[in-house]
Amino acid sequence: MLDTYEQETQCMSLYTFSGLCAGYGTKTIIDNISGNIESGRITALIGPNGGGKSTLLRALGGLVDYSGSLELGTREVKNISRRDFGRTVGFLPQTINVKTAFSVYEIISLGRLPFRGILEPMNNYDDKIVLESADLAEVGDLLFRTATELSGGERQRVLLAMILAQQPKLFLLDEPTSALDPNHARCIFSLLRRLVSEGRSVVAAAHDLNSAISFCDDFIALKAGEVIASGPVSMLDGKILHELYGTKFQCYRSKEGNTAWHPE
Amino acid sequence: MLDAAELSTHRKRLNRRRMHLAAFLCLLLLFTAFWRLGAGEWDIPLARVLTLLSPLLEESSRTSPEALIIRSVRLPRFLAAVGTGGLLAVAGAVLQGLLTNPLAEPYTLGIAAGAAFGGAIGFLFNSYAVPPMAFAGAMAALWLVSYISSRSGGGASSIVLAGIIANAILSAGVTFLKAIADDRLSAIVLWLMGSLSGASPLAAVSIWVAALILFVPAFLCARQIDAVSLSEGQGTLLGINEKKLRCLLLTVSSLATAAAVSFFGIIGFVGLAVPHLMRNFIGPSTKPLLVFSFLAGGLLLALADGAAQRLGELPVGVITALIGGPFFCWILMSRRHSV
Repeated sequence: MLDTYEQETQCMSLYTFSGLCAGYGTKTIIDNISGNIESGRITALIGPNGGGKSTLLRALGGLVDYSGSLELGTREVKNISRRDFGRTVGFLPQTINVKTAFSVYEIISLGRLPFRGILEPMNNYDDKIVLESADLAEVGDLLFRTATELSGGERQRVLLAMILAQQPKLFLLDEPTSALDPNHARCIFSLLRRLVSEGRSVVAAAHDLNSAISFCDDFIALKAGEVIASGPVSMLDGKILHELYGTKFQCYRSKEGNTAWHPE
Repeated sequence: MLDAAELSTHRKRLNRRRMHLAAFLCLLLLFTAFWRLGAGEWDIPLARVLTLLSPLLEESSRTSPEALIIRSVRLPRFLAAVGTGGLLAVAGAVLQGLLTNPLAEPYTLGIAAGAAFGGAIGFLFNSYAVPPMAFAGAMAALWLVSYISSRSGGGASSIVLAGIIANAILSAGVTFLKAIADDRLSAIVLWLMGSLSGASPLAAVSIWVAALILFVPAFLCARQIDAVSLSEGQGTLLGINEKKLRCLLLTVSSLATAAAVSFFGIIGFVGLAVPHLMRNFIGPSTKPLLVFSFLAGGLLLALADGAAQRLGELPVGVITALIGGPFFCWILMSRRHSV
């Protein structure tokens, strides 16, 4: 069944963009890039700091002004309402400062916000989703803790649980494992793999090159606001990485066939 | 993993706690009402107060001095105190959530100073011009604050900074008006010091209307305020048009604050402290917070007004700050231990 689904979704474009420029104020960060992101896959945005990963991700989420064309499915991102975004896209920002002392349960419940009417209370179905999401992000035992007392990694997982509760078709994640220990990072990536196998799509800005390579399907390499290379991660080689990060990379292969790249 | 049953037990416990606190506040409010209506220069026993308040009171006794005191002096004053205190506390709760800033309230944002400045200008012409001018002043202050903050990078933290600037400028404006007002000086000073004495029935009704104009949209948007207050920009990610929400709620907050200032002058501290206090008891969730802030704010100001009257018609703002300030400090410091 999975295979038929993959065949259906393969080569189906999630995002198509051409002549895309985006930035903040008068500063252009993404400069005239074109390409597409396929649905039903995990796409990693890789590249050096300040290369435009976050800005591209924010443009995909409709959070920055842009010029050129950027289509999600068949709709121009500019014309999609915030509520529609809230119902279809889960966005995990890079820095998460929880400023108000909500309980973890209350925060995850906020993920149901786009689906509830003004005075409609949480129903059993919402509760069920909240509990499931908490479980998936491994914060089930933190539910009644206060968010401001959590560690950075716990907070990141709580926010992830919140966007899981949105049950979005698409996840936009800005360095989703930046505050996580290796074990939790692996768990989150396996979770993302599972979501993708259910037909969701993930676009993640990744600072950790090797976890990106081992868990993602595609990559887009961004440097100075331009796409240097893109395609399946198997295409990544020393040449691209050298050009991208400005330093030579060495490839290590394990007996199991996993590859890892490290600067020389 | 927690199951649904555990979740509902937890929720029940939380609700019970809230109900207890609500009952406690309502009871206190009731006692305060009896005190404020019965006691004064002329003490009227409780039973008599109740008969005099009855809508079935005969025509002949409506004009008795006792009835007049209760119906057109003490009752409006008590209701005005509750309405104003509740309104200021709700405005504080809304602004603190909306701007993700614990220091936000009508006074720190310069809205009250704008209302005072506008109202003082109106005062120089005609006392009827005070409310509309106060609202114009509050809106102008709000516009100024938004303009400064958007020019300095936007965001919720810069809005409070801009508010402090606007507050300083507008307060200087008020002082300037006082200086050139000559013979009307004492009237302006008296008005701005903040007092509920002489609250007319019209003022009491107006303040409740203003409180509703703020409370209803805030209550309907409570969940959106929750999402926005979680972290800067988080509301947008959850499908909220933050700009629209901010525009709506800042406008109704200004309107309500302008009403409070134009009738009763500057009464500080309630808007800042009450929401914080209530958050300590019931958590930061906006919907219950609005209800409890209204109750507690109303109670606090009614009590403070009673104390102010007993002490020879002191400005009520002095009382709220003198009692509330140290109390707030105590709460802040004791909270560190409980966490």
